[in-house]
Amino acid sequence: MARVKFLCDVDRCIDCSGCVIACKEGNHIPVGVNRRRVITLEQGKPGEKSISVSCMHCADAPCIAVCPVDAIYQRDDGIVLVNKKTCIGCGYCFMACPFGAPQFPKGSVFGARGAMDKCTFCAGGPEETFSDEEKHLYGQNRIAEGKVPLCAGMCATKALLAGDADVVADVYRERVFQRGSGANAWGWDKAYKKK
Amino acid sequence: MAGVANTWGYGAMTNSLNDMRHAKSFIFIGSNPPEAHPVSMQHILHAKEKNNAPIIVVDPRRSKLAAKATDFVRIRPGTDAAFMLGLINVIVSNGWEDKEFIRTRVAGYEELLEVVKDYSPEEVENITGIPVEQTLHVAKVLSENRPTSLTWCMGGTQHSIGSSITRSFCLLQLVLGNMGKSGGGTNIFRGHDNVQGSTDMCILADSLPAYYGLSEGAWKHWCRVWDVDFEWIKSRFYEPDYMQKAGFTLSRWYEGVIQEDKIHQYTPIKAMIQWGCGANSNSQYHKVVQAYNKLDLLVVIDPFPTMAAAACESDNIYLLPSASQYETSGSVTSTSRQIQWRYKVVDPIHNSKDDYQIMELLVNKLGFADKFYKNIKQVPEDITRELGGGSLTIGYNGQTPERIKKHMANWHTFDIDTLQAIGGECDGEYYGMPWPCWTDEHPGTPILYDISKSVAKGGLPFRNRFGDEKTYDSSGRTENQLAAKGVCNPGSEVQGGYSEFKDVVPGTNWKTDLSQKTLKDAIAKGMAPFGNARARCVVWDFPDQVPIHREPLHTPRPDLIAKYPTYKDKPNHYRVDTRFESEQKPDLVKEFPYVITTGRMVEHMGAGAETRSNQYLAELQPEMYAEINPRLGHNLGFRDGDMVWIESPEGGKIKVKAFFTERVDEKTIFLPYHYAGILMGKSLVDNYPEGHAPFAVGECGNVVTNYGYDIITQIQATKDGLCKVSKA
Amino acid sequence: MQRCFASVFLLAIFLVAGLTGSALAQDLQAAGLATGSSADYFNQLMLGITGDWQKYGELFTFLQGQWFSKIFLVVITAVPAVFLLHYLIIGAKHFDHDSEPIYFFSLFARVVHFVAAVSFTLLVITGLMIVFGSFFGGGFIIRMARYIHLISAMVFALPGLLMFVMWFKEMLPQWHDIKWMFIVGGYLSKEKKPVPAAKFNAGQKMYFWFAIFGGGVMAYTGYIIWGFGASLDIVRIFTMVHNVLGVGIVAFFLTHCYMSVFAIAGSLESMKTGYKPKDEVDILHSLHKY
Repeated sequence: MARVKFLCDVDRCIDCSGCVIACKEGNHIPVGVNRRRVITLEQGKPGEKSISVSCMHCADAPCIAVCPVDAIYQRDDGIVLVNKKTCIGCGYCFMACPFGAPQFPKGSVFGARGAMDKCTFCAGGPEETFSDEEKHLYGQNRIAEGKVPLCAGMCATKALLAGDADVVADVYRERVFQRGSGANAWGWDKAYKKK
Repeated sequence: MAGVANTWGYGAMTNSLNDMRHAKSFIFIGSNPPEAHPVSMQHILHAKEKNNAPIIVVDPRRSKLAAKATDFVRIRPGTDAAFMLGLINVIVSNGWEDKEFIRTRVAGYEELLEVVKDYSPEEVENITGIPVEQTLHVAKVLSENRPTSLTWCMGGTQHSIGSSITRSFCLLQLVLGNMGKSGGGTNIFRGHDNVQGSTDMCILADSLPAYYGLSEGAWKHWCRVWDVDFEWIKSRFYEPDYMQKAGFTLSRWYEGVIQEDKIHQYTPIKAMIQWGCGANSNSQYHKVVQAYNKLDLLVVIDPFPTMAAAACESDNIYLLPSASQYETSGSVTSTSRQIQWRYKVVDPIHNSKDDYQIMELLVNKLGFADKFYKNIKQVPEDITRELGGGSLTIGYNGQTPERIKKHMANWHTFDIDTLQAIGGECDGEYYGMPWPCWTDEHPGTPILYDISKSVAKGGLPFRNRFGDEKTYDSSGRTENQLAAKGVCNPGSEVQGGYSEFKDVVPGTNWKTDLSQKTLKDAIAKGMAPFGNARARCVVWDFPDQVPIHREPLHTPRPDLIAKYPTYKDKPNHYRVDTRFESEQKPDLVKEFPYVITTGRMVEHMGAGAETRSNQYLAELQPEMYAEINPRLGHNLGFRDGDMVWIESPEGGKIKVKAFFTERVDEKTIFLPYHYAGILMGKSLVDNYPEGHAPFAVGECGNVVTNYGYDIITQIQATKDGLCKVSKA
Repeated sequence: MQRCFASVFLLAIFLVAGLTGSALAQDLQAAGLATGSSADYFNQLMLGITGDWQKYGELFTFLQGQWFSKIFLVVITAVPAVFLLHYLIIGAKHFDHDSEPIYFFSLFARVVHFVAAVSFTLLVITGLMIVFGSFFGGGFIIRMARYIHLISAMVFALPGLLMFVMWFKEMLPQWHDIKWMFIVGGYLSKEKKPVPAAKFNAGQKMYFWFAIFGGGVMAYTGYIIWGFGASLDIVRIFTMVHNVLGVGIVAFFLTHCYMSVFAIAGSLESMKTGYKPKDEVDILHSLHKY
């Protein structure tokens, strides 16, 4: 079975946050929880770059390894999901994640973290597909509808790619090829720029 | 837009967003699409990648677009015309101009050269702050990578010489021969959904729909379209001559109430309807607030309560909740002149009504529903049909509701690069039938002034709008304004320039012949109904016949005032006196040393009433800030995140958070203009109807934008004022 | 007992060495990266969001994913096993409970100890529940365990502090403690020879200091982890510290339980009534002056 992946093309991302808003509106995420966010480096300086990040649905996901209650699991297609009913909000996954993907809405007791929430690749959760409970806990299940995740679908510049890893890689490879070398190649300035 | 329309006929984006995919280079000046037009970036980046097209960004700020650019040119606000003239100077002195294009399709070129020779790269550096080498480099890049797509937005127009600046952009494209070509053109991005549509309908002070103007002929034309008696319309006016008098503009209507400048109207303005108007996009907004409170009646019609709802503290105000775009349907026009149909998703929720319903109730109450709805039985289809049938000048007549809906249904058959349908029901037509779409068989005009296609297939020459011949004041030279011999669209009966069509049906011309016989005749002959003329470098009815640089009213360079003074004061300018010369004070910069400029952030839209009421957008951009260069901030003793007061010469002041960033230089302060809810340090949150205060409130950036208006259009000069800053 | 201590300490030393070693290796790797590629941008970016993952995140993942639960499992099975062996081979120490009772713990001390004992036990149990959360299937039970863990920690803070003040002097290490340690408190023989210890023996002292300082560290790190009250790297380090210390505390806790309930018959009584038989005091706390 194909594995799914996200890829954010740094040369295309314009920091419009369209993906963030699409995700939040489409899945009714509480304020303060960011399944996806856009980060900008060197803001306002030469070399400014933006990138949209969320759960990367890692192959060997650290979050799954550290979860003390085995609430996180990976589907055959590579999508990493959390069972919110099992999750205890300990936050270990957040410590283990290299991308800061796990998010914790405020719980009710002693300021405890509620169950972890993160990008589902718009694939819902462990509850029955298209059930109200799934929608309530995890948001849309667009994968089951045969659609790409909202964020990637909404991306104005097609910077954010999502889908079958091989196809995503092909699209990106083609772009890099099209951009060619010359001034567009990474490191070109460094190696060849005349002072 | 007046500058553009006066150059070659129409004041609209000449190509389309999709056509920008064919550009070989880009120059953006006063435009920041990643924040203001994110979707367009898809096409721009496509061209950058596929064509290796350099992107040149000319802006006072190192914007998000600059992050994607190959060259960033930092310019002093308000000096765009000088830079353009400097580029033309370099291009011409190197012989890089498109000589054949100029010979055959441009008029007044010699007069332009006469002006341009004063703008050497050295002088340009003195005026704009752009280094000589950079001007030379940009000129070279543009010459070597043709066609260039030139884009500007409010950064180009919102100046006291805005109409000259926009003309200078057009002139650069003419000199480079980039007009009427795929991948070239002046691609002026419209700032809101359907702005092109509302401009085409002339939601303006000085024109009837479709740019017919206010002449008696124009009124009579529209009376014929509406099927109402001209005399009856006339009787509705206070005096008949008010019919042909330009009204107050959006930027200065409040003067009609508070009368700080002398007004020319028999009475001050007493009532105001703001229908879908983000109030706080008005410059000197604190004066607008004074006007709110002085009005007898203020009606705000909006899905969300605007700043007007909070700022108006007297009890003269009515808020009418209108439906959002998803709760109604109708035709909308995109920036690329394409018309689409918008379908209703849900019925209006809560107690809101859609705009058609509100209008109907109003018209019924005013008692002329019989006349108003004479041609309109089915809303909104009949509205589109009526306005299209009358808007012959811009060829809105071909886009019938049926055709528009057909395009929507066959969306997938259109090619992303050419916009042309490949097979299917719309075969050969261009998506959205970009106007002019002369007849209900015409495919639309994807690129204006493109003489490589026949008129029937979407080609056009430059419009013959300004007579056939002209003797220029500056040189005394007489020049034929029609295109040169042999230059015309393929299949044209006249091989060369020709005047506009008239008297095909006696007593009418192509603009007023409602039978559309004139249009059809012209197209049958392979000719454009509006003639085949040259684009003009000299606009003899403007104060600057050829655009020149003039210092902003409030300039940080008083030493340049003597050489580049502004205009004489303009009395009775849209019914109010407008100060130019008397406002340009050299000493002002001593007290107000920093340039203030405004712009957009991607998270919020316009005046922000809607976006600031969205919890997620408010979460991303929760508060108002001022971009200050860290060096300037530190020199003034601020820390990043400190609250600071920014004050304008007009007495406006705002308390905002200092946001240190190198986007702006050390002399410039940038403000986003989307915030509202706090006025000069005072929170007005309690004034919103209960439960309707936006999630994000802040000071209105426009409280500190300065006095200053364009001499032609009276657009406000929000991009080049002065201010002072102090710690709060 | 010796083996048990040794194993715990060895494990701790091994862990610390492992931590620093791999952290160093990661450091070197990071420094060797070239700059300028999109991968570098990504790294730079992630540094902003998730701290130095390559240094601490990976280590945390490794330890939490592979080791902590295993080590805990070893401790809670091996330690009782060792004691079972001890009980079977050497057996409990029996003292003459008819001998003169000596007033050993005041009522105040007993109350304080009782509160501490209950809350501490809860802390250990709930802590272990969290460690072995998957065994319980997570969800509601473990969420409750977390809440109880927090409450117990707050409850334990007061008696912990009181015990610290109350027994501070008696708990100071003395030279005879070394001798005690050499003979492992005499627990490895069935003989009843007086053991060099005053009111508290070296074992109790170790537990005391471990519980006080360790408890302090546990409380603080736990507090930070609970609310993510520091940078992510700090939270990661604290979590690792919390777990490693937890291993030691569990080991001591088990020892203490075994000693009081099984190893010295009737020892539990003294914490209820306050009295210890003279016989027991003379042997196990031979230097105690009453």
